[in-house]
Amino acid sequence: MGKYVLKRIGLAFLTTFIILSLTFILVKLLPFERPIGGDQQQIAYFDKQLHLGYVNRFEKEMPQYGTLLYKSPTEKGRAYYYYQVPVLEQYANWLKNVVFHWDWGYSKSFQPNVAASVIIMSRIGYSIRLNILSVIVSVPLGILLGIWAALKKNTVTDHTISTLVMIFISIPSFVLISFVLRIFSYRLGWLPSTWPPDTAMTSAKVKGYIIPVFCLSFGSICGYCRFVRAELCEVMESDYLLLARTKGLTRRQAIVRHAMKNAMVPIFPSILAEFIGILGGSMILESLYGIPGIGKLFVLSLNYKDYDILFVDMAIFTTISLLAGVVLDLSYGFIDPRIRMGAKK
Amino acid sequence: MEQRHIEFKPDDFVLVQQNVRIMDKKLETKPTTFMKDAFRRFCKNKSSVAAAIILAILIVLTILVPWLSPHNIDNVRTPEKFLAPKLFKAGTGFWDGTREKTHVVYDAVNQVPALSDKYSVAAIKQSLVSLTVDPQPELIDSASQYGTGGVIMLATDAAVNNKDVFMSSKAVDFTDKGGYMLDIVFGNEEDVGSSKLGEYCVYLKAGDRPEDKIMVRDFSRDYSPISFNISQAMKDHGMSSFTGQVVFEVRSTADAFRYILIESVKLSGGERAKNKDVLEEVSFENATLMINNADKNSQGYWSCSGRKGIHNSEIFYCNYVIDTYMLVYGDADLVTYSATELNNWIEKGWCTYDYTVGPESFVRLTDDCPVDFVESQTVLKVTKKLSSITARGWNYRKMGYDKMPSFILGTDASGFDLFKRAFAGLRTSLILGVCTAAFCFLFGLVWGAVSGYFGGNVDLFMERFCEILGGVPWIVVMTLCILHLGNNIFTFFLALCMTGWMGTAHRTRTQFYRFKGREYVLASRTLGATDKRLIFKHILPNSMGTIITASVFMITSVIFSEATLAYLNLGLQGVQSFGVMMATNQQYLGIYPNLVIFPAVVLALMEISFNLFGNGLRDAINPSLKGSE
Repeated sequence: MGKYVLKRIGLAFLTTFIILSLTFILVKLLPFERPIGGDQQQIAYFDKQLHLGYVNRFEKEMPQYGTLLYKSPTEKGRAYYYYQVPVLEQYANWLKNVVFHWDWGYSKSFQPNVAASVIIMSRIGYSIRLNILSVIVSVPLGILLGIWAALKKNTVTDHTISTLVMIFISIPSFVLISFVLRIFSYRLGWLPSTWPPDTAMTSAKVKGYIIPVFCLSFGSICGYCRFVRAELCEVMESDYLLLARTKGLTRRQAIVRHAMKNAMVPIFPSILAEFIGILGGSMILESLYGIPGIGKLFVLSLNYKDYDILFVDMAIFTTISLLAGVVLDLSYGFIDPRIRMGAKK
Repeated sequence: MEQRHIEFKPDDFVLVQQNVRIMDKKLETKPTTFMKDAFRRFCKNKSSVAAAIILAILIVLTILVPWLSPHNIDNVRTPEKFLAPKLFKAGTGFWDGTREKTHVVYDAVNQVPALSDKYSVAAIKQSLVSLTVDPQPELIDSASQYGTGGVIMLATDAAVNNKDVFMSSKAVDFTDKGGYMLDIVFGNEEDVGSSKLGEYCVYLKAGDRPEDKIMVRDFSRDYSPISFNISQAMKDHGMSSFTGQVVFEVRSTADAFRYILIESVKLSGGERAKNKDVLEEVSFENATLMINNADKNSQGYWSCSGRKGIHNSEIFYCNYVIDTYMLVYGDADLVTYSATELNNWIEKGWCTYDYTVGPESFVRLTDDCPVDFVESQTVLKVTKKLSSITARGWNYRKMGYDKMPSFILGTDASGFDLFKRAFAGLRTSLILGVCTAAFCFLFGLVWGAVSGYFGGNVDLFMERFCEILGGVPWIVVMTLCILHLGNNIFTFFLALCMTGWMGTAHRTRTQFYRFKGREYVLASRTLGATDKRLIFKHILPNSMGTIITASVFMITSVIFSEATLAYLNLGLQGVQSFGVMMATNQQYLGIYPNLVIFPAVVLALMEISFNLFGNGLRDAINPSLKGSE
């Protein structure tokens, strides 16, 4: 088992590495965008890139190195000419920078000359807080609703819950956000229509969480509810539950002690995976509600054509989704003793 | 208990087959095929059938609406923007192109709500369905052209410097027989905002020397009214002539901005000076008008070196219902045409008119005629002949319409018909979705079949490939594709296919693993069937159901992805796009919610129907559920 876990993690690392490498090369193949700002900023940026090994600097024009990226202003009769390093060489340098210095590059136009890791760290907190809150809200609610629907299977309650879940799971998140904003922010005026700034009062900040948490957890609530209902219904029809009832357990005892435990087996890993998965945050929610998280960063860096930041953001999303997959796979094995990890078919 | 007695007689029973040999007989009922059975079971699922019908209606609409609707969705027409939804005739009170607005600034002079300058007062008046003005005015601290009253607030500009403020930029000549009076009434409200009431002085200033000043009130905190006799003061100072301005000076302090409030100033003259500038009464009652006066040469202009503002300006608000179509397409301007012009039109055959009958007799014959209605006519009293008519023509004729247009769902910021635009966008999404689903279905099927059927190293290699490609979040793939290839429809197709086929492939592979070891496959193999035959004839038909259903869900996910990308500013360009429309309209959610809500409802309806339909299809096609109900 330990061997399988190691193998699985190792494979995930390899996959992540290959994907990030491909993404890096594809991003670097994009046409070069000039950094914004005056000569001071530009020189600072290009010197950093030179240091990281992504550009070359010459004292005269070198057309054989491709298009000229930037010509520094002439000082003391000398000007520098910056050219891009070949992409594969950049890739090698990038590997070196990341592995040895944990240096992920610098922003060129979004927040000029700020390290990507600094930008990410300043924003990831918002996304994490929001998503943890939404998991805390959605997991109990979703599971409770699912259990309720399963216990009242084929009654009006069950049909109502199932229909509502069906409807709400089909509504795209941006539509939901639009409606919620329309009703609670514009019509009733109870909640703010954008994310309150950091300087806002605590009460305003708390209010600011309500809409995003609601919108984020809504889909998950429906998802959990459907999942739990299906699982529990299946378990309730199983023979061992019938046996439990025949040997004299009350319905409550049979459900709590036998059905629930078994139904939770596939549900728990999915909670864990979701917990990791949504750390990435919802890009649409963040950009519509103006939340300064990493989802909004994706949109912003795209708008600014700040591809280095975009790449780091993409890397985070990729890593998170792969990590969620691994956790999902492994937790099945740990939780359910019937599943032998890595067993031959 | 009552007992019933039933008696059987021998001839109650007849033998069905007496003296007949029992042999195999052909089934008399028709055999059912897989598809027929699936259809029968699908029909039993009421919600899926309903969803299928809704879906069919939506699809028919997406085909017909962009094709049949005459409205414009290509050329930006700004004047026609933000029209309200209109389905019924104006005046019905519901869905009739009217829009209700509350708390809008009221233009008390023209007695209409203060709308954009584009619309004439007459046009607004004509379009108003109802108007209620709040009886209580609200007090604001900024100068609005619709405000009245209030007090002038003079404040220091910075917290450190002494600043002067003047009344009247033009010097006034007070040299005359006397009776010049200066009356000032001050307000004494403490603490407006973060600023504080301050010390001030008032004087008359003729020049920069100290002796050119006549002090009216020295620096103090006395806010009682001033009534100052200028002529008397001149006598006291021994001045025979004096030409100057009234100056207010507010003393600044370091702790806060200081201000004074002036309710009214009145500079009234005695008699008129000969051969001199006439001193008109320089005064104000309406501080708002005074503040809004931008004419530097007028006598009442208040030039100021500090901050000149207004406090408690009264502004009225109103609620109204307006017919947006009348506002844009109607025409409030009544134009008077002479009888000669009218005769000219009649000669050309544009219209007919009989002045002896009156305005009702006007009949418009061709589109060249600029007039639609005749409101009134003037007949010369003496000759009893027509001299002129007053008429109006619809504005929509000038805009190239034959009749008043009506947009079922109104128009958006570019003047596009929302209804047509939504369905045109949906058509693009659907085409994209169907093409993508078809491609992914085919490619995924082949990939999954090969991988699942052959297994071993082939499978291992193909699986790893899928794992890597599938590990990239779809948004990353889409973004990279769009950045490299531009956001045209082909890129979208390519990128969506790149991420989409793996689902089908994975599903097919699982099905193949499930079925390839079954006895019937083995039997066929023993009989010498080729791989191709085994795959396509024996295994695929069994696993088809699940794979087809997954492809249906694929279509919804494509529609969803397209819209999501538009919200991330990566929307489809060059074709009508549903997502781009929604994302653009999102900013008007607060003012024109109909622009967002209708597309949202259509999209949600589409997704719900697709999901229900897909679920029904899955249950119907799944062979293992056969006969379970």
